[in-house]
Amino acid sequence: MIAFTNYSIRRHGLLTVGAIIVAAVVLSAIFAPWIAPYSPYDLDVTVMLHGPSRAHWLGTDEVGRDVLSRTIFAAQISVKVALFAVAIGLIGGTIIGMLAAYCGGTVDTVLMRLMELLFSFPAILLAVVLMASLGTNVLNAMLAIGIIFIPGFARLARASTLSALQQQYVEAARSIGMSHSRIILRELLPNVVTPLLVEAAVAFAYAVLLESALSFLGLGAQPPEPSWGNMLNTGRGFMAQAPWLSIVPGLALFLCVLGFNLLGDGLRDMLDPHLRD
Amino acid sequence: MARLLFTRLALFVPTLFAASVVLFIAINVVPGSAARSALGVDATPQAIMRFEALNGLNRPLVVQYTDWLGRALHGDLGTSFQNRVPVAPEILKRLPTTLELAVLAFLVANAIALPLGALAALRHGRRADVTISALATVLGAIPNFWLATLLVLVFSLHLKILPAGGYTPLLESPWKNFTQMILPALSLGLVSSALLLRIMRTTMLEVLNSDYVRTAHAKGAPEWIVVMRHALRNALIPYLTVGAVEFGFLFGGVVIIEDIFRLPGIGSLVLVGIINRDYPVLLGSALIVTFIVLTANMLVDTCASLLDPRQLRPREAGR
Repeated sequence: MIAFTNYSIRRHGLLTVGAIIVAAVVLSAIFAPWIAPYSPYDLDVTVMLHGPSRAHWLGTDEVGRDVLSRTIFAAQISVKVALFAVAIGLIGGTIIGMLAAYCGGTVDTVLMRLMELLFSFPAILLAVVLMASLGTNVLNAMLAIGIIFIPGFARLARASTLSALQQQYVEAARSIGMSHSRIILRELLPNVVTPLLVEAAVAFAYAVLLESALSFLGLGAQPPEPSWGNMLNTGRGFMAQAPWLSIVPGLALFLCVLGFNLLGDGLRDMLDPHLRD
Repeated sequence: MARLLFTRLALFVPTLFAASVVLFIAINVVPGSAARSALGVDATPQAIMRFEALNGLNRPLVVQYTDWLGRALHGDLGTSFQNRVPVAPEILKRLPTTLELAVLAFLVANAIALPLGALAALRHGRRADVTISALATVLGAIPNFWLATLLVLVFSLHLKILPAGGYTPLLESPWKNFTQMILPALSLGLVSSALLLRIMRTTMLEVLNSDYVRTAHAKGAPEWIVVMRHALRNALIPYLTVGAVEFGFLFGGVVIIEDIFRLPGIGSLVLVGIINRDYPVLLGSALIVTFIVLTANMLVDTCASLLDPRQLRPREAGR
């Protein structure tokens, strides 16, 4: 096992490091109730703003809640929002991109112009505007971030579909009278899904960042629900007395984003070595 | 050149129009939400109807949009629900702060990305390349709002050498303005430099391996001439294109950074619009941010075309 790990790190260093960090984040999110030493909601006014100690490894917040437990539980929100947002973007973008490429002509022009337009907005601005209209909660954060991801996936799906359409097996499928839906689902989809999944790993990192940014602004997860973004926002008010409130959730967020970025980059390198440099 | 500018403008105007439609739809995606949001959940149906009648929200969406667009074309971006003052003058008052922050941050990003990206490519595979690539990976994963918090923690609270917030106009006191803007610009610029650095490294590597660079070397041209005249100039074209996209991302970041450093810019106005559920303020400020991003994209596209004459004469290039 150790030999295999050493081999993997040498061969696909970034991918392995990224996968380890991502696994740690996802496992923390899943097993949070068993890993966290305290409940993330338990108040204890006798230990308000206490620094790191044996009882509270990463200190306590302004109402005496354990920072380590809240940081572990916050992974749940980030992973959940990112998972659903990326799924919305991936499914929506794949449908639009594949339809545009397959139909061509006016459908292609209209759909891709719309996607380019959505792509031209600063992501956080569009998310903020959508959240203002939809309402500020985690569910709407998923939806807003998912909508932002649609254009990126659509462009990639379109490009991959256009390249797959040139292949002989698609021509063969057409010549034997296969229906459009069967060609799209059975012949094209399996061939465009790999680059989309690689892109999804990178999008996951960005989704975690966006969710935290929205929560930081008070538009995503609402207190007392723990989220790295709203923990950082609360920590801003106690930077002088309790710097750990500004450091710990940010560090967790940074590691999570770093893990997904490395995983995405590693997957891309592995599947397309030409892109390595 | 004139034809190029005309083409870019011809694309810019409909894009901006479509962007205004998207923003208008995004803000009004839930019918009746403006009144409910502004008056609160306890508002009576009568109060909501009165509010909608007062602000023209009871009309069909298309009528509301055309009315808003007509007024926007004359420089009127509506009146704030909250304090009944016109939105456009408020945006104009805040515009210099946001532009200054964005430009400074973009300068920081490029000051890091250009030399380090080029250096990493020139030292490909060596320790400098590995270190710079690792730096780009780390910078790319840091959330700008966390970096801002850390910078405040270190430079304002611990070392006490820079202010943690506030704003003094540039013309009033350039030095004070600089000290107040340096941390916000670093927070945005350092994070934005990550992508630019990677693009610079990649494009520079491609160019350094091209035939014309090899020819320049073979003809005995000095290294710095090969790098500056042949490699860097050609590497700048894709770099500029990505730079324009990154400028858009960076502009999105001003919403958070202005809030952290209490800068009175358009980004903080967007937040005021959301907190007060003041949709004219939100729509106006979001549209202006989009306008600036699209303008930057258009200008960079034009610059890229000027740097790469093939884009000016595609037919001739194809021959």
